[in-house]
Amino acid sequence: MTTRRGLVRGEIRKLTTTKLPWGFLAAIVVIAGLDAAIVAFATDMDGSKAFVATAADQQSLMAFASNAMIGASLFGAIAVAREYGHHTVVPMFLTSPDRTRAVLAQLAAVLMGGALLAFLGQALVVTGVALALPSTDHGFLLSGGDLVRLFAATTFAGAIGAGFGAGLAALIRNTGGAVTTAFLVLFVIPPLAAQMFSEAGSWIPNALFAVISGVSADVSLWAALLTVGAWAVVPAAAGLVAVQRRDVV
Amino acid sequence: MHTLEFENVTKSYGHEVVIDDLTFTVQPGRVTGFLGPNGAGKSTAMKVLLDLASADQGRATIGGRRYRETTDPARSVGVVLEPNAFHPGRSGRNHLRVLADGAGIDAARIEEMLESVGLTHAADRHVGGYSLGMRQRLGLAAALLGDPPVLVLDEPGNGLDPQGIRWLRDLLRERAAAGGTVFMSSHILAEVEHLADEIVVLSHGRLVTTGTLAELQQSGTSVRTAAAEPLTQLLTAAGATVHSGAEGELVVRGIGIAEVGDRACAAGIALHELSPRAGSLEELFLDWTSIDPHPDDTTGTTMTTEPERQARTL
Repeated sequence: MTTRRGLVRGEIRKLTTTKLPWGFLAAIVVIAGLDAAIVAFATDMDGSKAFVATAADQQSLMAFASNAMIGASLFGAIAVAREYGHHTVVPMFLTSPDRTRAVLAQLAAVLMGGALLAFLGQALVVTGVALALPSTDHGFLLSGGDLVRLFAATTFAGAIGAGFGAGLAALIRNTGGAVTTAFLVLFVIPPLAAQMFSEAGSWIPNALFAVISGVSADVSLWAALLTVGAWAVVPAAAGLVAVQRRDVV
Repeated sequence: MHTLEFENVTKSYGHEVVIDDLTFTVQPGRVTGFLGPNGAGKSTAMKVLLDLASADQGRATIGGRRYRETTDPARSVGVVLEPNAFHPGRSGRNHLRVLADGAGIDAARIEEMLESVGLTHAADRHVGGYSLGMRQRLGLAAALLGDPPVLVLDEPGNGLDPQGIRWLRDLLRERAAAGGTVFMSSHILAEVEHLADEIVVLSHGRLVTTGTLAELQQSGTSVRTAAAEPLTQLLTAAGATVHSGAEGELVVRGIGIAEVGDRACAAGIALHELSPRAGSLEELFLDWTSIDPHPDDTTGTTMTTEPERQARTL
């Protein structure tokens, strides 16, 4: 009997039985290594290590949420678009002809995958920085509360990014197209919007995740959470509608 | 009982009509071959049946219900549709595990199916390294995972070696004998001839003929006459297909033997022989699919076999 739980389990198995998550994990290790190297070897203009001198500086350096959203969006886009590329969407919809159920199961798995990768990324970044700090005159200054906030923000960003990418992929159904669109929407459009409309600067993902991570307070936390949530919900809903209406060819 | 029914199904992509008013029934307990040239609309018809594509008009059902209304699809209908619907980086065993998870099928069944299709030795290899025949076997294992009573198979013999073909033939026969419904498309006419009890033939999206293979093979007429050319014109205008046989006789299909005699008599053409003629499936297939399925109304040159008439009145 086809059940929601079974479908989600199948979708999780899809994600864990290819090299896709390992590729992203390798990229995260590189990023964490770079962060650690920056702490160990980089200096400010005056030759000091002032950029890690305070808890706020360290929190800002370790805030991984924005990167997590971008990375997870690519993860979500590839995970879903390749289903169309490899035609594995055919057995998916044959197993669950109720497409809403099938797509929601897929989204749930991709969201969990994105969140988990983001969490691991944050853990590696924090670990890298913590290991590099003893090479400076500064200790690890983040409190438990700060860390919880960082991890929560990054995990949330991973889920949002994955949902955003998955929604785009369901709409576009092509890996190259979905990845390019995700990249353009997250990297190119927000800075352009911020340049054209000064007030838009507070509402782009970077700024919103700075708020959620506790690094800035440009807008309220709830406003930031809701706005960031919309980044995933809107494309995911559009993808869901498109999947209902289109033929599987 | 799991009868498959197509009722006036029409499907277009843009301005191109891919399936045109398709009506036929596939009965349980039989192996039904689905034939037609490339682009005839066979795969699209199967996709409409499986709710992967929506019909513009009409409906296709399995046991009286749309596929999307099936509560336990994997245990109801086994499907081989896309020859490459696998992630190349996933192993064969994991491909089946994904499907078994989704359908709530016990993992033990995966090993059983791998064994059954002869893929146990390669189950942990990436599908990207499989040959076409191995991918086809994996597709069949996936179709049989839920032990469904209905099988819808698009070119299931593609790439299989002779042992594989034999295994498939035995399997499908066994399924049909147990009351299952087997609906398979194939380009291997000799295989269909061996295997199918009934056939459905499409050309340019339209039904050309359907019926029991044995009856259809007997539906030709052999004619000898000194006036071959005028008789050919006369019968062709009446909707028949006429070609020369190996011994100079005319082979007429599409109209009954009595009608051939009546028309020749009415035209004053003397016949030296008028006898029923059996044909190979290949011969029949070429005749059926050479007919223009979209005749203009003025010429009225349409295939009018009895089985087709029956099909059209369903």
